[in-house]
This record gives sequence, C-alpha cells and structure tokens, in this order.
Amino acid sequence: MTEEAIVLKAERKQQAGTRVSRKLRLAGRVPAIIYGHQQEPESVHLDYHDLALELQHHHRLLAVELAGQRQQVLVKEVQYDHLGDKIIHVDLARVRLDERVEVTVALELKGTPAGAAEGGVLEQLLGEIELECLVTSIPESIRVPVAAMQVGDLLTAGQLVLPEGAKLITDPETPVVSVSVMAAEEVAEEAVEGEAEPEVIARKAEEDESAKTED
Amino acid sequence: MALMPKRVKWRKYQRGRNRGNATRGNYVAFGDYGIQSLENGRIDGRQIEAGRVAATHFLHRVGKVFIRIFPHRSVSAKPLETRMGKGKGEPDHWEAKIKPGTILYEVGGVPEDIAKRALLRVAHKMPVRCRLVTRHRS
Repeated sequence: MTEEAIVLKAERKQQAGTRVSRKLRLAGRVPAIIYGHQQEPESVHLDYHDLALELQHHHRLLAVELAGQRQQVLVKEVQYDHLGDKIIHVDLARVRLDERVEVTVALELKGTPAGAAEGGVLEQLLGEIELECLVTSIPESIRVPVAAMQVGDLLTAGQLVLPEGAKLITDPETPVVSVSVMAAEEVAEEAVEGEAEPEVIARKAEEDESAKTED
Repeated sequence: MALMPKRVKWRKYQRGRNRGNATRGNYVAFGDYGIQSLENGRIDGRQIEAGRVAATHFLHRVGKVFIRIFPHRSVSAKPLETRMGKGKGEPDHWEAKIKPGTILYEVGGVPEDIAKRALLRVAHKMPVRCRLVTRHRS
C-alpha cells in the first residue's frame, strides 16, 4: 500500500512566467501549484530530486512544508517534457487525511493465461481504473490475476478485486483484459506506385467557381 | 503500398522548417510499447510502410501494430535530365514531419521481449534516431 510522512520543502514563487520557471528548472527546482479546500492557489517550487524520488516510488500523498507550515497534498497531475523523461510541473491538491478522493490507479496483470497454450493472446484493453477511496489508502496498483483465463474469456472492471473501502467509479461493464485468438491482419493490395493521386479540394472549389461565372 | 492522403487541400507544399519538440503524439497511447523519435526529420510513406512490414513479419501477425504517423505533405521533384525552370516539379512522394518525442509505432498484445525485438527492427528502417518507450512510467 502507501503512504508515509514525506516532507517536501516548498518555496513560494516570487514571479510568474516562462522565463522564471525555466530558470528554476535549470537550478534543480520544479514549479508547482498547490490548490484546493477553498483557499487561494499558491505557486511554489520544489526540489527536483526529492519530488522525482517520491513519484518514482508511486507516492501520491505528500507532505509539503511551505513557510513553516506543513500541509498534506495529493499529486493531481504531473507534466513531463516532450520525451516524457523530466518533470516540468506538478499540480498538488490540498487534502485532509480523513478525506475520500477520486484517483486513477494503474492495473497490473499477473501470470500467464491458461489460454496462451492454445494460441490465445492476452490483450489489456484498459490500463487504469478510477477509484474512490480514503486518501491514506490509495493503492499503488491493482493486481489482476489472469492465470486462469481461457481463450474467449473477458474480464470487466466490475470483476476486479478492489482494496477494502475502495469504490469503483469506472463503469463496471468496461472490458479490462481478454484472451483471444488474433485474426490475421489483412494484407493491403499492392498498387502500382505513382498511379494514384489524392483528390484536391482547392481545385474542386475553383472548378465550381468557374462553372458559376460561365452561367 | 505507400501511405498517402485521400484528399488534400493543395497538391504541392513549400518545404518550410521543422523546429521544436513534439507536444502531441508523444506518449504511448494504444499499445504497450513504442518507438519514439529523438530527432526531427521527415519520414516518407515508403519508410513508414517498410517499418510496418518489418514489425508484422517479425510478429507473424500476432498482436497489433499501431502506426502513429501519417505522410500528410507532398514532396515535389523534377524529372531526370530536365533543365531548371519551367515551374515547380510534380508531386513525387508523401512524407510526415517528425519532431523529437513523436511516437512512431506502437505494439500491443505481445510479450515484452518480442515487442522490443520487433520495434528494434522497425527502428533500423527509420531515418531518425529512435528509442524504445513503454506505456507506464517507471
């Protein structure tokens, strides 16, 4: 499960803007925003290394110390750079420890399906589900045992075993994982290259206009 | 058959520049594993098709291959042994503009080692440097 008291030291951002954020990132900080609980949103920055470590360990609930005050926050959104490597911004929502929150949790398939021996291919149709649970008991992931699945079997979100106290928000009928025999992909017909050319929309419009003027 | 659009607004395009990073199409969205471009460049329809063939042949049509790029832009060329001038050449082929971070192909429904080997074969067909990425962040 999760969540221990991890304290990240945050500092207020004095100025807003891209240049300021860029300078902060170069200095090993991550721009962030803390909002929620009907209080004013606060633009802050956190240490990159500490934050990356917490996220790497799948911690969702963090304790942030800002101007000597400690507050519990939930990681709502993390923005990564174009390659998906570096954290460039993080959204943090204020929470109370007795609060129930809606979170997205990843699904983790466990085992090799029995149907694989008969040529079945395991296909994961849903990567993550939405849950409502206590903020202190957010699961890292939901394990889905697939070892007993035969060819043609389908597991839906409603059939998943959730942690105690968690309520499913995703539609229970949503397919999660299936074992099926893949149909052979249709082979596209070979065409003589250079023969086909796309239809040009602009030319058609011009032709219409010229037809109108002739009338 | 090389990919090309069905309908276009204009037959010929100016070359333009290809700068900046991918802000869309830069994460694995459909399959479990993908290859991501690390450079900007241009990939033509035949190269995209070569990548698809490399992946499907290796996977023996098991699993699913997703092509995340499409050659929307035409590239014109003059015929051989033609004098310069007399206007812009006719459309020769179609290409996709690629930026660093763009996911080029994805593979789903196959084990990790098989997917990696298939995508390595695809990466060899690409005119840009690529790396393997997975759906879930570590």
